[in-house]
Amino acid sequence: MKCDKFIEALSTRVKVLEVTRQCEDQVTALVELNDLPEAVRFLYYDMGGYLTTMVPNDERSINKHYALYYALSMEGGKMFEGDEIAQDEKCFVTIKTLISPDSLVFPSVTPLVPACVWYEREAYDMFGLVAEGLPDKRRLVLSDDWPDNLFPLRKDAMDYRYRPDMKDHYMEPEYEFLRPEGSGIIDVPLGPLHITADEPGHFRLFCDGDTIIDADYRLFYQHRGMEKLAENRMNYDQMGYLAERVCGICGYAHAIACIEAAEKAINLEIPARAQAIRVICSEIERLHSHLLNIGLACEVTGNYNAFMHIFRIREYSMKLAELVTGGRKTYGNVVMGGLRRDITGVEIKESLRILHIIETQVDEVWDAVMDDKRQMSRWKGVGILDKQVARDFSPVGPNIRGSGIKRDTRYDHPYDFFKQIQFDVAVVEGGDVFAREMVRYMELKSSVSIIRQCFELMPQTAIIVDPTFHVKPENYALAYVEAPRGENVHWIMQGSAQKVFRWRCRAATYNNWPSLRFQFRGNNLADAALIVCSLDPCYSCTERVTVVDIKSKKSKILTHSDLKNFARTQKESPLKDLR
Amino acid sequence: MMKLLDISKKYGEITHKYPFEPYKVCENFRGKPAYIFDLCIGCAACGIACPSNAITVQLNDNQSKLIWEFDCGRCIFCGRCDEVCPTGAIKLSEEFELAVKFDKSALIQRGELDVQYCTTCKKPFSAKRLVKYSFDCLSKANVSEKRLEEAKEYLCMCPTCKKTATVATFTSGKEMVIE
Repeated sequence: MKCDKFIEALSTRVKVLEVTRQCEDQVTALVELNDLPEAVRFLYYDMGGYLTTMVPNDERSINKHYALYYALSMEGGKMFEGDEIAQDEKCFVTIKTLISPDSLVFPSVTPLVPACVWYEREAYDMFGLVAEGLPDKRRLVLSDDWPDNLFPLRKDAMDYRYRPDMKDHYMEPEYEFLRPEGSGIIDVPLGPLHITADEPGHFRLFCDGDTIIDADYRLFYQHRGMEKLAENRMNYDQMGYLAERVCGICGYAHAIACIEAAEKAINLEIPARAQAIRVICSEIERLHSHLLNIGLACEVTGNYNAFMHIFRIREYSMKLAELVTGGRKTYGNVVMGGLRRDITGVEIKESLRILHIIETQVDEVWDAVMDDKRQMSRWKGVGILDKQVARDFSPVGPNIRGSGIKRDTRYDHPYDFFKQIQFDVAVVEGGDVFAREMVRYMELKSSVSIIRQCFELMPQTAIIVDPTFHVKPENYALAYVEAPRGENVHWIMQGSAQKVFRWRCRAATYNNWPSLRFQFRGNNLADAALIVCSLDPCYSCTERVTVVDIKSKKSKILTHSDLKNFARTQKESPLKDLR
Repeated sequence: MMKLLDISKKYGEITHKYPFEPYKVCENFRGKPAYIFDLCIGCAACGIACPSNAITVQLNDNQSKLIWEFDCGRCIFCGRCDEVCPTGAIKLSEEFELAVKFDKSALIQRGELDVQYCTTCKKPFSAKRLVKYSFDCLSKANVSEKRLEEAKEYLCMCPTCKKTATVATFTSGKEMVIE
């Protein structure tokens, strides 16, 4: 069977207490608490794994312990040609460990595998589990004035509607940013509020002149407690709609990942036609997301003309979504066991016409953008993600494929209809903004071809299975979907009464943030917005900026337009009167 | 740079004149759910199916009317209500212009249905139209005249009284012939 090879290898290193299999390509190995870091490191670096997600769980009602699940995608290191596991051996191995509620301490994996840093910080926020040896123990998800000793995802902690009182502004604890040592460093805070983007995030850039030497950021201003909400009052029919609202762009990928996790936990196979339509809709989502990002990457650098043209083409992809699902953004057609809405022959015909328009016009505009030397000089060599950094932090999506690592969930772990579809994984060497945008362009082309293949191969079957299925409490599974920004991973443990016991939703960008710091280093302040944009994190920075010069203690508030102008023209640095 | 200008020239003006002329949406567009009061029977299927609690069906304060209420501000346009409605009283329309001016209560749509009072305990328990709908369904179902009369009686009783009445008939010692 798949995965056995890895479990065998693992048991030569550490003591494996128990092995359970969730589905064909997912196994869980229970290890002792002290063996945890070594077990994860061994699978990550020695066996060629990437960290998919980590799920802390309150299992006191099941086995009187807290549990941690480190899910690793076994696919090979991919650092050089041939450094890859054979296609039929790729799988997910989860390392599970139990933590006693008396100690609440576990050994941190982060010193050995840096990719775990955010997950372990979150484990403290949500469950109060302390990672011993974690270099960065600040809060991650909850706000700084959240009451100590209140850990929301513990089953007995609080009602899901409870909102603790906010502290007054002056009482609020200060968030400590990681700052580099030295004099003459200028702090540039970006955000958290801005009018243009849908996601707030606070970036603290440390600059020497106009050069960024380091960066730190505080995110999760929009943490809404969806996981707690779903555990308390949602059934599976409602969860799909909630998951679809996790993200404003790749919502559909979340919806299918969430529902597929629930389906996998009970080994429910959905009809082939439903699989194909799920793939079609998620590829349409990729079309509009990538067009949005390429457009914004032009807009941030001041190339308005190209931006407008790309958005003109993007409108066709929105129309396509409207045509086949009835909604421009929220497709709302996923339910457990299949789909709610079929695609008719007339719609297929019209879709093919729109796809042709998108394909030809994207080529035209991309060609013009590539010809533009000024545009290229802004993209090339900026925001480089080093290959080794990428290996250490497990980023996903175009971010890692732009660094020459061939990681794509559709290719590594083909789900749904992807087993029958042929496509090339877009990989570009270089790691700069240009490489990432190039990956996106190549994926636009492959998405069009995938949708066409789906229309062609889609069998005439039902789109939903008989809904008499029974969920089994304590079953759990991972589901993974390659969203436009990378893989969205959902982990669901089922509970009783058609509810979930634990839902862990990991969005693509969650894995991309920790390595962003390295992408900032050494770049010009004017490129900061572009680098964040090329990550495609819901374009989230340049609204309102305070600049403080540590040396002269002078400060200045930059407006959205000040910084944007500087980003576009690279002239008249807004910081010059501070020096 | 010049290439982009050429493309601009090629495609010309592509923006719609909206809002000065109507914007046409695709067939089967999922817009604002349109409610047809005359068809509504107050069965509350939509209220149970609605994932975001945008539709509620409950008795008003003095228990004289059954209030069907739809809050467009909570609606996620999934169309579950459309799917479950037995009479087609709620259908997703093509309407997408939903903004209201200052007054959020304009987002709320409501229908007041007459309630059926229980013949025994005189408490309200359902909508008159639902009782009529159930009776109509039974009349079409090839049920004998006598059974139909009996059903009419039962339909106008609240669930608790119905239970009591059934138990009373079963234990009264009378013999019954099921036709």
